[in-house]
Amino acid sequence: MDKQLHASDLDFTVLRELTALRSFAPSRGFSDRVMARVSLPQPAAVVLIRRAGAWVMQPRRAVTLAVAYAASVVIALRLAVPWLTAHAPALKLGAAWVGTQVGTLCNSVALSAADWAVRSGAADAVRAVASSGKVWPAVAALAVGYAVGGYGFYALLKTPGRTDALVRA
Amino acid sequence: MATAKDLRTLGDREVVALAKAGKEAAYRELLNRYERPVFSLIYRMVRDRALAEDLAQETFIKVLNALDSYRPEFKFSSWIFKIANNAAIDQLRKRELNTLSLDGAPGARTAEEVEATALQAVDHTESPLAELESRELGSEIEQAIGKLRPEYRTAILLRHVEGRAYEEIAEVMDLPLGTVKTYIHRARLELREYLAHLRT
Repeated sequence: MDKQLHASDLDFTVLRELTALRSFAPSRGFSDRVMARVSLPQPAAVVLIRRAGAWVMQPRRAVTLAVAYAASVVIALRLAVPWLTAHAPALKLGAAWVGTQVGTLCNSVALSAADWAVRSGAADAVRAVASSGKVWPAVAALAVGYAVGGYGFYALLKTPGRTDALVRA
Repeated sequence: MATAKDLRTLGDREVVALAKAGKEAAYRELLNRYERPVFSLIYRMVRDRALAEDLAQETFIKVLNALDSYRPEFKFSSWIFKIANNAAIDQLRKRELNTLSLDGAPGARTAEEVEATALQAVDHTESPLAELESRELGSEIEQAIGKLRPEYRTAILLRHVEGRAYEEIAEVMDLPLGTVKTYIHRARLELREYLAHLRT
């Protein structure tokens, strides 16, 4: 009996001492040191830009790009600028001709689209929707299309969910 | 957007989900929650403040950089304690090997050779850090815990200091539930012996 009392008394002492143990804190700045070495997940677009930046900034590539840029400036000043000045009237004429052609093409595309809208009945259908009170379903369809487009952007920019990180626990 | 105050009210799973979505505040919240328990466990295991800090830092870096591989069906605390415990046990094993090599080169045969090749491990000057350690871990119970086998130490610390359930300790230590209970029982018996003179 005495022995049992003695044992339970000791057990109580052990538990009392264990539960009274304090917890220790690491030194100041511990969490900042950890966070400095943790890579936070980034949106896909940011990751792409950062990767491109890192790729460009690699010493050899940076030097190559700088040399290529300097060479292109020299070539432009030595060859391109004198050539452009010498051929300025011909170039102006050519630019005006291209402008006219592009204008004519845009005009004919717009006319064809209008012609198609009238002939196919699309214009009448739009007019009918506007006058028959079916405006709201049409607006809803547009809104859905807009939302789908928005989600597409979100999917492109959202934080990637990586699954390839393995931990040896 | 959840503020630091809001985060404190959330469970580990929700905070981990926010961290996975790239919220830095959620990472910091996880650090705040676990830096003391994880550091205390490792410190009491390896009994060296600087080393414990390095190991705790490695534990957090490993865990926070691999949050995507965390499976929500398990408790986050089990996962982090498991990695912390493994780091501490690996360190203790390494230290055991180093202790063996302090006894002189394997080829040394005579007493002189052993003495000449043995490393000088004893540092008689106590650094401020060592002084702090001897103050922190110098109480009777801390010394008694230090005498336990590493696996008993983990089990008893998780149970009685961190207040973890037996099931969670089994998960952390990768052991059957019965073995964990036995370890804790034996650890308590050993502590009883070490602390017999403290009986009130």
